[in-house]
Amino acid sequence: MEENSLRIIKKTISWLLLVVTAVYIMTGFGITEYRIVEPLTSGLLSKALSFRVHLNLEIPFMILLLLHIFFGSIDRIYCRLTGRKRREDGRSPSQ
Amino acid sequence: MLAIISSSLIGIRLLMNDNTDETLDSVEIRDYQGQKLSSMNDFRENSIQGPQYIDEENYRLVITGLVNRNMSYTYEDVITEHNIYQKAVTLYCVEGWDVTILWEGVLVRDLAYKAGVDPKANTVIFYAHDGYSTSLPLDYIVENNIMIAYRMNGVILPPERGFPFQLVAESKWGYKWIKWITRIELTDNTNYRGFWESRGYSNDGGLEESFLEEP
Repeated sequence: MEENSLRIIKKTISWLLLVVTAVYIMTGFGITEYRIVEPLTSGLLSKALSFRVHLNLEIPFMILLLLHIFFGSIDRIYCRLTGRKRREDGRSPSQ
Repeated sequence: MLAIISSSLIGIRLLMNDNTDETLDSVEIRDYQGQKLSSMNDFRENSIQGPQYIDEENYRLVITGLVNRNMSYTYEDVITEHNIYQKAVTLYCVEGWDVTILWEGVLVRDLAYKAGVDPKANTVIFYAHDGYSTSLPLDYIVENNIMIAYRMNGVILPPERGFPFQLVAESKWGYKWIKWITRIELTDNTNYRGFWESRGYSNDGGLEESFLEEP
């Protein structure tokens, strides 16, 4: 149960981090390359909006990244202690 | 045979040289009164339509709006008929980079006063060749001796940097530093919003506050 919850949390954080990173990069381009990004998104991602989103994502991005590293390390330590092997996809070998 | 042809060509070229004075390329100043200056190449090109190439011969700087008489200056007129000032000022771009440049130009105040400012005028709108525009309070322009620069680090502004004139909007975010200025309008419309200001940027543009307008 404990292992299961840890896995779910890890997975959720990973996916959230992926989404936040993608948006972070996209809005970064929206700031510096607005002459390309704005027409590509039919004016939806303007430079000002990119700035707003990008600046507001800085802290969530850092938190998620730290959590991702933290839970990754926890998992590694847990595996080392229990002697369980980590699978590349993050699932436990029992599955 | 080839040697004869090439030496004849050199001879012809030497004969054609009329020994007139030629202007040498200016060299960028990188140090001003002990202050390190950035290079002209340290700017990031982020204008709305890319660099504008303005023909000096056909260029006119127009002063309109709430003035006693509309003025139209040639590039030469602006530089020769007004006092030239220089000042090292830092431009801070909203994108995170900054450059400290030695600017040289004429005061907007001098241009406006020559046209005769209507007492009702309280705002100055600047228009650029590429359709860009921005506005600043007249008081700010006058009190801070705001200039339009034609030289940077001792070199005439290249087209990429805003030739013929760029506004040196000291203590304002970079989007207020309009390049390729063609028209200056004096108005009493304090609500005028320029290109970026109408897209969510602060109308004041002061460095001490966020450049994004509160939603």
